[in-house]
Amino acid sequence: MAAVTEDRRGGLGWVERGLFTALPTLALGLVVWKLALLELPLSVSWSWVPALGIDLAFRVDGLSALMLLMITGVGTAVFVYAGGYLAGHPGLRRLYVLLSLFMLAMIGCVTADHLVVLFMFWEATSVLSFLLVGFDHERTDSRKSAQQALMITGTGGLALLGGFIMLGQASGTYVISEIVDVLPSLAATPELTAALVLILIGAFTKSAQFPFHFWLPNAMAAPTPVSAYLHSATMVKLGVYLLARLDPGFGEWPLWEWGLKGAGSITAAWGMVLALRERDLKRILAWSTVATLGTLVTLVGLRGEGATVAVGTLLLAHALYKAPLFFVAGNIDHGTGTRVIDHLGNLRHAMPWTAAAALLAGASMAGMPLSFGYVVKDVILEAKSAGDVFAFAKAANTVFGAVAVAVAGVAAVRVFWRHPGVNETCEAHEGGPALVAPPLLLALAGITLGTFPFFAQELIAGATGAMTPDAEAVAFSLALEFGPALLSLLATFAVGVVVYLLWDPLHARFERAARRVGRIGMAAQFERALSWIPRSAAASTRALQTGRLPAYVALAAGTIVIALAAALVADWPSLYWPSADGWPGGGPVGACALIVFGAVAAVLQRDRLVLLLAAGLVGYGSGLLFLFTGAPDVAYTQFTVETVFVIVVASVLLALNRQHRAAGLAEPLWRPGAFMLAVGFGAAVTALLLVATAGSFDTALSQFFAERSVPDAYGRNVVNVILVDFRALDTLGEITVVLLSLIAAVPLLQALRPARDKGDGA
Amino acid sequence: MTAVLAATIFATVTAGVYLAMSRDVFRCVIGLALLGAAANLVLFAAGRLVSPLPAVVPVGEILLTDAANPLPQALVLTAIVIGFALVCYSLVLLLRLMRDARTDDALALRYAEPRPDDPVKPPASAADCDVAWPPEDRA
Repeated sequence: MAAVTEDRRGGLGWVERGLFTALPTLALGLVVWKLALLELPLSVSWSWVPALGIDLAFRVDGLSALMLLMITGVGTAVFVYAGGYLAGHPGLRRLYVLLSLFMLAMIGCVTADHLVVLFMFWEATSVLSFLLVGFDHERTDSRKSAQQALMITGTGGLALLGGFIMLGQASGTYVISEIVDVLPSLAATPELTAALVLILIGAFTKSAQFPFHFWLPNAMAAPTPVSAYLHSATMVKLGVYLLARLDPGFGEWPLWEWGLKGAGSITAAWGMVLALRERDLKRILAWSTVATLGTLVTLVGLRGEGATVAVGTLLLAHALYKAPLFFVAGNIDHGTGTRVIDHLGNLRHAMPWTAAAALLAGASMAGMPLSFGYVVKDVILEAKSAGDVFAFAKAANTVFGAVAVAVAGVAAVRVFWRHPGVNETCEAHEGGPALVAPPLLLALAGITLGTFPFFAQELIAGATGAMTPDAEAVAFSLALEFGPALLSLLATFAVGVVVYLLWDPLHARFERAARRVGRIGMAAQFERALSWIPRSAAASTRALQTGRLPAYVALAAGTIVIALAAALVADWPSLYWPSADGWPGGGPVGACALIVFGAVAAVLQRDRLVLLLAAGLVGYGSGLLFLFTGAPDVAYTQFTVETVFVIVVASVLLALNRQHRAAGLAEPLWRPGAFMLAVGFGAAVTALLLVATAGSFDTALSQFFAERSVPDAYGRNVVNVILVDFRALDTLGEITVVLLSLIAAVPLLQALRPARDKGDGA
Repeated sequence: MTAVLAATIFATVTAGVYLAMSRDVFRCVIGLALLGAAANLVLFAAGRLVSPLPAVVPVGEILLTDAANPLPQALVLTAIVIGFALVCYSLVLLLRLMRDARTDDALALRYAEPRPDDPVKPPASAADCDVAWPPEDRA
């Protein structure tokens, strides 16, 4: 049985499973051990990119410690569970590797103390989440969900990067703990406001806040262990974590406070309403997760220590009840083959252990006394009565509480007991210990903390201290209290039970209403926006790629004209133009006249031979001009090249003559549009030249050549010395270009040869 | 002198761009040659025309004084040769193109354009797809 390698069914042997599971277990042990021994906060830092001021800086304070415990604790349960859930699955090793990497990225994220390092791990979680959601990559909906999750969290990641850079520039440091200290003293500049908005977008996409909430339920295409890990306990909490991390710095900003409270409340209420729409147990849980995340964001936005206590408690409680409930949903799927609640009922006989775990976790979710959920309700109630909560948040919280009770009822009671309607249950069976132990243990942990809340006291106090550093010591005690909280809880509970009993009729109502909303909902808008990308790309391609070569030239020329003109216009006031200098002698003027005559004649000629001669006039004119302005070497080169050029073109014309194409194309010589563009191009280039030559002239380089030519290179012709000595490499490059063009031309010319006689071209 | 030179450059650049936008591919190549000549003139003028004397150090002296700026001359010399190679290569391409495509009309060169039945990128207008496809059919 001791199979280290993959067994016949393609799964992993128990040794390898054990080794993988040891990773989070060891991490959990390390976290607990270090936390017990060491004084928080801990910080370490290594220099990474000193030129950019980026250090691998890590810092563990109370909030990080809470997140670390959740990541490694739930991680251990998930690793054990995955081994049982996907036993024999050929992709189990891939899943373990991805989950291990993901855990590493999460640990990096919650311990990073440098914005860039945090962003790096943040992006790693996005990419790994893409790979994990798309684990069943043969299925289309799985790939689509993964793509959607990546698009949204990836876009949010870009916004986050922008926000981080602006925040770092505005506050003068990229170290998070320093930024949080500096921020309250900074004025609300537009840059800082923009940074705030961008960071909010990044955190909201990650934590599935309205209006980016729709990707999370779709991500349920992932295998259950992944959903339990990523989409309940850890990754989606990253956004909340980031907000809580920056809250001491931004807390006083109205935009921050109202952004968090508004988005959080809408998400909480909307998520719960949409949970009623679903029939798939996992999607019901997913929507309630969205709602919980909304509540967390609202709580971060609230002022006062009570709210931060509530954030810490709810973070922990949610991980302890939502992960087991996801495991329960996975067990039901595993045991019966379906997760649709219409086909499930009376499962407690077949799956007693799962039912027990579901009851314990459901009790915590519903906030029953003696569960950790009850402690959370108590704390939240205190936070909201202490802080100034606007009415909508209160209403959202009531909806949230009531529907949470109903969802817990569906997940823990409805599927395991008889209920009105269909109770048909195909052959259900309980999974092995690997499937049962993780949910039971996590749910039991929730109940233990609910009965003895002081166990979590120090942990929550540490997290609270990290979120409200100003407070000397947060005075609170987690204890069992049966005060006004119980009364309000009873009211919520009663509403929840009513919702639970009316689940089916309410579902039918919502389904009808939501079908209408679905067309204008965010998910539909997202799909529309996506389909718009290829369509607009095709349209712009068709608009630009007209298939007319002259139009391409016009497009390039037009772009250059606009760019040059814009540069000239932008600098217009500071430009000065050359003053009129003396009239030159007859030689240069004659040369210029020759050039202009050649250029104009070339435009006006249709006959190819005359066109060629006109172009030759431009070249010879240039040569003459060089001769008269002290550049005889250039002039001789120009004359030589021009002569060879005319010979080459004449032979090309001969070849064209054989093809009966010596005459030019019968196109109109006068094309107004092209003429305007050409004049604009010429004017822009000429203006640029005039402006450039009017400025002062830096002669340092020319002076150097003039001085060093004879002593260093023993040459008196300075131009030649530059070409063959000082800038010899340039000349070598020039020779290479000429040779390369010859090498490229030879095969082209040889292909023309069979046409009887030789001597085409050069 | 500056004004005369600027006017010359203006005329040459304008003529070059105008020819480059022509339908006749031969005129396009000649336009390219004119643009190259204009670019040389721009480069030359940017180095200032300080003296009509060549940049040669007289025998017996060590320093070059009161002569034309040698640096732009060296650059223009290189540019002339490279421009010549470019235009010659364009001419060879042109010959080959005219023989294979049997046309010198730039508007008729549509091999690289989307086919009429392309699902993503149909031609801009129906009149654009009057060219037989694939091009081997025309040879």
